[in-house]
Amino acid sequence: MRGYWARRLGGAACVVAIVLVANFFLFRLMPGDPVSTVLDPRFSPQAKAELEALYGLDRPLAVQFLIYLERTATFDFGLSFATQRPVLDEILSRLPNTLALLVPAYLLSVLLGTALGVLAARRRGRAAEKAVLSAGAISFSFPSFFVQMVLLLVFAYVFPVFPLRGSLSIPPPQGTWPLLADRVWHLALPIGSLVLLGFGGWALTVRNLVVKVMGEDFMVLARAKGIGERRLFWGHAFRAVLPPLVTLFLLSLPGVVSGAVLTETVFSLHGVGRFLLDSVLGQDYPAAGGAFYLLTLITVASNLLADFLVQFTDPRIRTGERTST
Amino acid sequence: MRKVGMRLSGAIGLFALALSFALPAPGAEVKAESLRGPRIGELYMVVVRDPDAAVLALERGKLDVLGDVTRPSDIRRISKNTGFDLSMAQGFHMAQVGFNLRKSPWNAPELRRAAAMAIPRDRLVRELFSGYSAPLTTYLPPLSPYCDKAASAPRFDPEGARALLGKAGWTWDSSGVLVPPKGKSPLPPATILSPTAGVAPTTAELADRIAGSLREIGIPVKAEPLDFAAMIQRIDEHKFDLYLMAWQLSRDPDSLYAFYHSSMDVKGGYNQTGLKDAKVDRLLEDLRYVPDEPAARVAAKAAQKALADRIPIIPIYTRFSVAAVSKGWKGTVSTKSMTADNSWSLLSMSPASGPMKPLYWALGDEPRTLNPFTASTATDWQVLGMVYDTLLTVNPNDLGDLPWLARSWKVETVKDPGGRHTRLTFALRRDVFWQDGSPFTAKDARATLLFLKKNAIPRYFDSVRDIASVSVPDAHTLVVTMKNVSYWHLHSIGGTPIFPAALLGRVKDWRSWQPARNSVPGKAGLTELYGTGPFVFREVRPGDYVRFSRNERFWLIPR
Repeated sequence: MRGYWARRLGGAACVVAIVLVANFFLFRLMPGDPVSTVLDPRFSPQAKAELEALYGLDRPLAVQFLIYLERTATFDFGLSFATQRPVLDEILSRLPNTLALLVPAYLLSVLLGTALGVLAARRRGRAAEKAVLSAGAISFSFPSFFVQMVLLLVFAYVFPVFPLRGSLSIPPPQGTWPLLADRVWHLALPIGSLVLLGFGGWALTVRNLVVKVMGEDFMVLARAKGIGERRLFWGHAFRAVLPPLVTLFLLSLPGVVSGAVLTETVFSLHGVGRFLLDSVLGQDYPAAGGAFYLLTLITVASNLLADFLVQFTDPRIRTGERTST
Repeated sequence: MRKVGMRLSGAIGLFALALSFALPAPGAEVKAESLRGPRIGELYMVVVRDPDAAVLALERGKLDVLGDVTRPSDIRRISKNTGFDLSMAQGFHMAQVGFNLRKSPWNAPELRRAAAMAIPRDRLVRELFSGYSAPLTTYLPPLSPYCDKAASAPRFDPEGARALLGKAGWTWDSSGVLVPPKGKSPLPPATILSPTAGVAPTTAELADRIAGSLREIGIPVKAEPLDFAAMIQRIDEHKFDLYLMAWQLSRDPDSLYAFYHSSMDVKGGYNQTGLKDAKVDRLLEDLRYVPDEPAARVAAKAAQKALADRIPIIPIYTRFSVAAVSKGWKGTVSTKSMTADNSWSLLSMSPASGPMKPLYWALGDEPRTLNPFTASTATDWQVLGMVYDTLLTVNPNDLGDLPWLARSWKVETVKDPGGRHTRLTFALRRDVFWQDGSPFTAKDARATLLFLKKNAIPRYFDSVRDIASVSVPDAHTLVVTMKNVSYWHLHSIGGTPIFPAALLGRVKDWRSWQPARNSVPGKAGLTELYGTGPFVFREVRPGDYVRFSRNERFWLIPR
């Protein structure tokens, strides 16, 4: 058991180290640099040299790399080129908005998708399954910006039930509860759109996994033993599909964060996703490097957590037992 | 309501006809000097990044002012809504095709001239921009007071282009591709770099059509759309044949030096075409180091004439800017050079009826920083421009200089043992106060200029680097002596925002200074982001809005 986790942690550290190095060099290998894309004839070559010095880009690459390594190790990613504020501050100031958007949207998508997937699997060949399959396919295949713009048009413009933009009314209401209600009202449409776009994939995956498991030999045996349908489903079939679902849930997390870019743009939200995109487009090396580094850590942590949790959902891969036998 | 509509110059008459159905008729000139305000008590600058959402918010009454409407479909949609006034202005946008003069065949002037004659600007602009742009033939934006319309690139004449090439000894092979004089092989295939359709759909399409026009006279060119950063890198590395790029310039002609002087063909310079011409260099030096305004006009004219003879670039079109304002407001100011979303409007706007109410003004992007030393985007300065003032401002009618914090000024050339220098003497207003209540004096202006010079702050580097000395003979007189002679120092120094000396003394690190986050002790609601401008910064809600209130001490408020 200890050896297994040592190997897993060692592997994770290697991944982080590789991403660290790639993070530094890939951005610098991209065409252009933060100074060359300043296009203003009133900005002389000497002024650009001052800007390079301000960004620290006038130093040798090896020195820049060492500074970068030192900063990353201490979670001090330096100052963003664009804002001249610490990158970590920039990310942390946006994180609450992104979490308020993504956590409920992701959980609701997973819960709704799982419930509908289970429903479809248990009602095979019936109208409910067809409805779920169709809804899932539509939800899964529509481009997010299109769906979100249509929702904005219908529910914020034609029928102005929700606000058109932002995370707060202008001016914001006074008092904690009215302010909270205002936040919820502003986030309802973006969250609703993400649920609408996200539940389909889960519904189809859960339905397919459950259908496959229901046909397995152990299920036939359990049914032959006379186990009731309810226990058969929840105690055997659903438990069997839990490990891949847990893994999928955790491995999808980083993608959800980076996928917030379009939602934050369409609904004018101030979040990490948009920051990530702006940093890459603006060749803001410290900001993009910091954001990708944190995304890497989330991915690696999600992987490790998935490995850890799978032990509890799937008795066949309890590593400690395996190594002791 | 004093309604000032758009005015279009005669040069774009055809496009004026196309637009007249949608936009207001020309109005009278505004007397900027006589405006008094602001009247608005509370101003919200609302962040709406998505252009579709911005138009919807305008239509739902969530925004009162929406500037920089660029998509023809949006302009048409808003123009059909009777609840808004649209204003249109020409601005300083210039889209141009540049040649790589460092290599053959683009170093042949007759080929460049023929290429300019092969491009049907009028048709391309009409078809691609639905009338919201104008064809361009000049080397400065037509609106610039220094633009010489006589010094222009050749007009569309493909037959003339063929005749010109034939006369210069060019021939065509059996497939219609040009063969250089005394050459045996036809021209090799070339490309015209442009941004991708995903980023700039009309520019990418325009590049494709320009390439088609050049092929018509035998120049084998095709469009090569590239990611913008990759395109800039190719140009910087001189690995290109032609490129299509747009610039946002200013009223001054000094950009010609940056674009065409041989010393600017270096890393970080803008002489992308690589023009190296001793006569052009001399004329551009004359223009850069010109002692006064009349001489500036003469020098600008001579430089443009020389460029028109050499054709290092082909001017293609200039884009108009369009702004929409709700009819719930009156008093907007718009001229041929400014749409209604400008600071003059903010001085004079008030509700069309009923009591005063907050004004909601759209910001197309989020301000990246509210530190005036590191702020660089147009959005940053839309916000900071509410707070900070400059010594001079630009007349919205003729783009000349207008008094602002300085009520008068003098530009002289003085001589001393070190040589000739420009000396600027500003007589400052005596009725100006900082938003913390302290009086504005020449010491503030001196502290600002010295602070910017001492710290070599990139954004201000070019404006202040030639300062030799700054003196303050009395509390309301500022004398700035420059190291050399140039009339343009007036605009550099006069256009620099002035910061309070008391605050500059407390700025420990200008890079990381966050004035909007630090409150001023003893001044409720006031942060270190204060100036002499018409509005007081109150708060920023990142991603949502920036809030201002009227500066009750502003010197243009009638007392």
